[in-house]
Formats: sequence, C-alpha cells, structure tokens
Amino acid sequence: MNRIAQGLVLTLLGVAALSCTLASDLYLNYVQGAFRPFIVGAGVVLVVLGVTAIVMDLRQARRGPEAEEEHAHGHDHGHDHGGHGPRVAWLLLLPVVAVFAVAPPALGAYTAANAASSAPRDVSEVSYDELEAEPGQPVEMELQEFVMRAWTDEERAMAGREIRLTGFVVANPEGEGWYLARLQMACCAADAIVNRVLITNEPAPPEDSWWTVEGSWVEPEGGLQEIRDHRFEVHQMTEVDNPPDPYE
Amino acid sequence: MPDRSSGSAFPPPALGDSLARGWDEPDEGLPPSDWGRPRGPRRTATVWLFALFIIALAAANAWLTDRLTNEAFLAWATIFTAISLQALPFLVFGVALSAALTAFVPVSFWRRAIPRNSALAVPVAGAAGAILPGCECASVPVAGGLIKRGVAPAAALTFLLAAPAINPVVLVATAVAFPGSPEMVVARFLAALGAAVVVGWIWARFGRTGWLRMPRADHDPDASKWRVFRESMQHDLMHAGGFLVVGGLAAATLNVLVPREWVIAVADLPVVSVLVLALLAILLSICSEADAFVAASLTEFSPTAKLAFLVVGPMVDLKLIALQAGTFGWGFVRRFVPLTLALTLIFTFVVGGVLL
Repeated sequence: MNRIAQGLVLTLLGVAALSCTLASDLYLNYVQGAFRPFIVGAGVVLVVLGVTAIVMDLRQARRGPEAEEEHAHGHDHGHDHGGHGPRVAWLLLLPVVAVFAVAPPALGAYTAANAASSAPRDVSEVSYDELEAEPGQPVEMELQEFVMRAWTDEERAMAGREIRLTGFVVANPEGEGWYLARLQMACCAADAIVNRVLITNEPAPPEDSWWTVEGSWVEPEGGLQEIRDHRFEVHQMTEVDNPPDPYE
Repeated sequence: MPDRSSGSAFPPPALGDSLARGWDEPDEGLPPSDWGRPRGPRRTATVWLFALFIIALAAANAWLTDRLTNEAFLAWATIFTAISLQALPFLVFGVALSAALTAFVPVSFWRRAIPRNSALAVPVAGAAGAILPGCECASVPVAGGLIKRGVAPAAALTFLLAAPAINPVVLVATAVAFPGSPEMVVARFLAALGAAVVVGWIWARFGRTGWLRMPRADHDPDASKWRVFRESMQHDLMHAGGFLVVGGLAAATLNVLVPREWVIAVADLPVVSVLVLALLAILLSICSEADAFVAASLTEFSPTAKLAFLVVGPMVDLKLIALQAGTFGWGFVRRFVPLTLALTLIFTFVVGGVLL
C-alpha cells in the first residue's frame, strides 16, 4: 500500500465516521448516542491525518523523481514509518463499505427472536420510585423498566395502572400471541439484550413494525419471578414510525 | 531485567509469522527504488482506483442498500459496523497517545519513571493501568509506544493487560451493572490486576526479546517532532486498524452464529460454566466498558462464571488477539495469549472462590 493510498484510506474512514454522525442519525443504529462526540472527534482526526498524508505525498511528487528517490533511500534502511503500509490495512475500507453501501438497519426482530431474553435478576433490595403520570394520562415507561419492575417490584405498583410502551413486533413461534420487544444496549449493538412482553389479546401486526401500546400489566397470580414472559393487556395501539433511537 | 530489542533479532520463522509481515521486511509491494522507475504512473493509478471505488460506493448507496434484505446478513453487518464504529475513537485515542509518547516524551523520562528492577516495574505498571480511561483498543498501541521508548516489555505488557480491566470507567460501569453487589467490582479489580502482574513477572523471567516484533525507533534525527508524531500515528493506524477490522469480522460472525441457548444450557455445571463464559468473552470481544452489562444479563450463571467473563474478556479476545498480532507479531501472540488465558482463569477461580 503506497503512501497516497494510505492517505486516501484514512480520509475515507474519517468521512464515513463523520457522515454517519453529522449528516444522518445512522450511528444510532450501531452505538449509544453518547458516543457521538467521540466518533466525530475520531473522524476529524482521521480526515486531517489522511489529507495531510495525501498533500505531503503530492508535494513530494511535484519535487520530482530525484527527491523521491532520495526519500525512499532514506527510509529503506530503516523500518517503514509513513512508508508502505501492510496489506491488512486495506481492510480498513470494509467499515467504509458497511456504512455507505450496506448501511445496515438497527437490530430488530431477527436478533430479538434469536437472543436469549433478559431473565429475572436477583435484585431483592432494589426500591422503585413512584410511577408518575399526568392525571388522565397513562404512565410512559421504557420496556426495560417495565420488565424489570414486573419481575422484581414486590409491591406490585404497576398493577391496575394504565401504561404506555413502545417497541417492535416479534412473532412467538412457540405459542399464542406475539411479543412487543425492544433491544437494550450498553455500548454498541454487539452487547444488545432483548426485553419483551407477551401480548395475546390483539392479532399480531407484521414483524418489525413499531407500535406504541397502551394497556395494563397482567398481574401474575403466583410469584413474580416464576413467569418467563410477563403479559400485557392492550387497550389501544397505534403504529409509529421507527423512533430515531431504536435502542433503549 | 530483559533488555529491549536490539533491532536485529529476528524471531525464528514460524507459520504464523508469514501472515503478519510488514514490520521489518523490505516492501515487496513496490519495485525496489534502485530500479529508477518513475513512480508517477503508480500514484496516478492509485488515485483512479479510489475514484472508481468511491463511484461504486455512491452507486451502491443509491441502488443496493434497499435491496439487501437477508436478515441474518443485515444483523451481521450491523454488529460488524457497531464494533468498528465503537472501537474507532478508542483506537484513534490510543494511537495518538502512543505517538505522543514516541514524539514528545524524552526517553530519559521513562528511565526515571519506571523502576529499573523489573520485579518492581511490573506492579508499578499494573497500577498505572488504572489511569488510562479506555478499553483494550487503546491499550495495545500505547503499550507498543512504551516499548518503543525503552520501557521493559514485561512492564508495558502488564500495563496492556491491566488498563482495560481496572480503569475507573470500567469499574464504575461494573458497579452500575451489578447493583447491590460491590464484591463483584472488588473481585474484578483483584483478579485482573493479579493476573496482569503475574503475567508480567513470568514474562520478565522467561520472555525473550526476539518474540516481540517491534519496529526500530530510528527516526530521522533531523525530523521535526510533529512529523514523527504524524508518521507514527499513521503507521500504527495502518497496522492496528487493519487487524481491528479482522477481529470485528470474527466477533460479529460468532455473535450472530452462536445461539445463546447453547450457552445457557450449561449454566448449571460448576466448572464448565466458568470455562464457557470465558470462551464466550473471547469470542464476543465486547468492549471492556460494556461487558459488565452483558455479564449481568447472563443471570443463569454463577457469580464466578460471570467474573470469568469480566476478567478474561478485557485481556484475551478475538479483537485483542488480532490487534496484538498487528502490533507485536504472531510469534508474540502464540506465547502471550495462552499464558494470559491460563493466569486469568486461575485468578478467576481463586478470587471467585474466596470472595463470591
């Protein structure tokens, strides 16, 4: 890999990082929103580094073949700093291809169906805040919070409350009903965990479509943690466009 | 104290070494300069090639993106993009820090800061790992920069292992992921630091300089500091970055291919479950700042098994192995990775047995 190719690869990589953070919200499909300034920073550094490398190389070319000869000799006896890159560096173009040519969507029903769902956690001493809502309005909750509460809130504060959840549809191949699911992400899509509730009183909408549902938690008769998937009784549901940030 | 590479010590040729060329060997990609052939046409060809590549990207962006519908492929592509994008800031930061160490910090500083006696230097370097707030992608190039500046390899390697596991960001993330069980944070800190320091001691005693394939730091003495900085950053990005992509490809593939049910099926077996989560940590290559959340979600497993996930992951994983191979060569990886893995497992069992 010659010097100008290295400069071009770095520039393209930087442009890819900048375009999916500044020009669009594509990065939210892959990483936490908090990463944005860091990715922008890395993109700027890469572009500056790449453009500098290109300019230096072109300047050297203008000085003529003699100067290049001399430069090459100066470096041949040592290692190859700034000289010729290894072939493996061509792989740096793959993320560029992924961002521009494939632009993969956020993980959805395919992953949610294959991943293990987050199971009840052993957090006995966790205490919860009061459920807050405007009078006459349902309680707006993240699916992750709903599932955690359903499993661990021994006071059962959610019972009888009108709750609003947003997520995408995942089929339930094993039995009745379908899942409303949402992927929870700590850092990037590689660590996504699925949270889901089972809905049985409405016919299943198409997979991967996004819905906001209002309804209530079906309070289990036995212990909270004996249940594999908590149920949600839907009173009203509306289809929504994909939310800007698909993960919680 | 092991002396650092004299520069002429080539490791014995090995199968793996042929896969990671490019450090000390002359370039074979271009004709030798004494051919006297003008290079203009080659440069022009490169520019044309990239122009075509960019046009192809634009065309694919317009026509191809909406036509890719295979869900498994798209999930794979999403995870690959996610790993690459997430690692990029850490890689750039690590490479920049390493280049700054090379260009701006005089060699004499390290001679004073790090104890001469490597039995002492190793724990000092391990504790110093607690101050680099990053993940493994940053620590590899930094360790490379330290070795280049004359720090004993054993100490630099201890730093490499300890930094991603015990820095404050990671410990806070661990505490958040395991609410109500601070012993997990303590166990992670102790097991990771212990394993890193013992690996360092073993390397100091038995390690050979020839196993490390490091570039010689013989910059033009008249080059400006900024030029050294820029060139060393570009050099490290080319090597570490390429291998980071290799690791990302492997991790994304396994992430999509290995069903979690297989993993959960063995959760009840005492020793096997620990080994399985250690293996999972190696395969998934999750960033050390995020792995605690994944470990916490594996609720079927015992605390010791989760500890294995947290201790092994930041020190041995596919992404890291690829990065190390790109920076230090395969001859190094072949010896260093099994040693690290063995010690992380031993410390997991011991610390987990005592504390959890």
